[in-house]
Amino acid sequence: MSTSPTTLIAVPDSLDTATPVAPADRRWQPQAAHWAALSIASLLLLWWALTASGLIAPLFLPPPQAVLAKFGELLNGGYMDATLPQHLLASLQRMLLALLAAVVVGIPLGIVIGVFPLARHLLDPVIEFYRPLPPLAYLPLIVIWFGIGEASKVLLIFLAILAPVLIATAHGVASVSQLRQQAALSLGASRWQLLRHVILPGALPEIITGVRIGLGAGWSTLVAAELIAATRGLGFMIQSAAQFLVTDVVVLGIIVIALVAFALELGLRRLQQRLTPWHGQHH
Amino acid sequence: MSLLQVDKLGVTYPGQLQPALHQVSLSLARDELLVALGPSGCGKSTLLGVLAGFIAPSQGRVLFAGQPVTAPGVERAVVFQHDALLPWLNVHDNVAFGLKLQGADALTRERIVADTLRLVGLADVAGKRTWQLSGGMRQRVGIARALASRSQVLLLDEPFGALDAFTREQMQQLLLRVWQQSQRGVFLITHDIEEALFLATELVLMSPGPGRIVQRLRPTFNQRYRAGEDVRAIKSDPEFIALRESLLHSLFRQGHEEAA
Repeated sequence: MSTSPTTLIAVPDSLDTATPVAPADRRWQPQAAHWAALSIASLLLLWWALTASGLIAPLFLPPPQAVLAKFGELLNGGYMDATLPQHLLASLQRMLLALLAAVVVGIPLGIVIGVFPLARHLLDPVIEFYRPLPPLAYLPLIVIWFGIGEASKVLLIFLAILAPVLIATAHGVASVSQLRQQAALSLGASRWQLLRHVILPGALPEIITGVRIGLGAGWSTLVAAELIAATRGLGFMIQSAAQFLVTDVVVLGIIVIALVAFALELGLRRLQQRLTPWHGQHH
Repeated sequence: MSLLQVDKLGVTYPGQLQPALHQVSLSLARDELLVALGPSGCGKSTLLGVLAGFIAPSQGRVLFAGQPVTAPGVERAVVFQHDALLPWLNVHDNVAFGLKLQGADALTRERIVADTLRLVGLADVAGKRTWQLSGGMRQRVGIARALASRSQVLLLDEPFGALDAFTREQMQQLLLRVWQQSQRGVFLITHDIEEALFLATELVLMSPGPGRIVQRLRPTFNQRYRAGEDVRAIKSDPEFIALRESLLHSLFRQGHEEAA
């Protein structure tokens, strides 16, 4: 079965059995993935053409083949005393630790905010106060309060992931269908059963969406977090390379972050489709 | 003996001057199918909400088997117009949901669920997800779920309002069969005059401003259908048409008084 949700056969409303839909046109039709591949290929081609023509000096934009060569070099030789996999592992560990903490804190707290209006009134100002702040703005405070160790780096990423998870969970919980809740009450559900069997599963699609958005926010904080006395990490690698104008390492770092972030996003999308297949189905 | 007893019920929503319901009295026995018919704004949804225990009365009282109704309860199961099913469960588990909440043992639960699915004609789709079903089938799941729980009264909130005319008529016949076999009292609200006339053993016509009962009648078409008469023959019978027109006339007259 294709991953596209539009290929599900619609069940006709008036009849109790689905009539098979005849394949209308057998000719090859480009899919979303084809267009995406075309877009990436064009970008690569443009990159190559600009550098190969000599319009842009390698210092400003290194050619693709140079970045590829650097990739091979960094796999084994490394940059700043660590190989590329070691940098990647260091960043990934921080990201996943922060994500885990944000899920463990954000989902229960989001449920409390979604269920109890008082909790929302109390916590909403706090969340809305820190959420729009650029991480670099409160980075000094975190260093002063928590030092320059691993905890501060994870904390910065954690804060970035927490807000979207919290807000999505609270909204998901608060917007679970009233009818569904009333029907469950009339079937004898206790408050706890209502939460466990109706509200939480109903909010799940939004909770996962919150985690997806949070993870993106987390990645965008990675470089800031690795400003704090790091010796390893993709963000650290990019910054050090930038200071010495090693542009090919900067570009390589950016591409690796993008690829890893995209792989995680795809994984979460798959998880969402598996866990909440009803999501996006008419109601 | 009546299961549900409504005495001089009044409901006024906070911040509203005009009551949503005024001096409504009703009773529903186990073998009755009581239909509240009226245009939108006549308070019929509020009435159902009070019977279900979702809305507290401002005046009067509602008794179930002699006890005041103060909260939702398993003896009064609700079916809504837009299905309130749980899409993460399949048809079987949706129907079993009430019994599971109530802690029924697995053996009893399976027996009741299987019987109920057969009664509403869903035995073949027990493993399907609810979002894979048509609107009519989803409403059958909703009715089955209400039946399978330990309900004594079904409260149906415009249950067929979102269905096409053909499916609606099938569902009306299904409801009569279910009502007869399951030995429960049914309270149904609708704005469809034909539906009300066809289904009701007792019919109350409601009118807005404030929401109240303006007419009561005991149609006999339900009995005629159960005695074997064809549904189309009943609905095209001159007596049926005359009653339908008279109810329409009442509704319009109420509407004019409203405007005047």
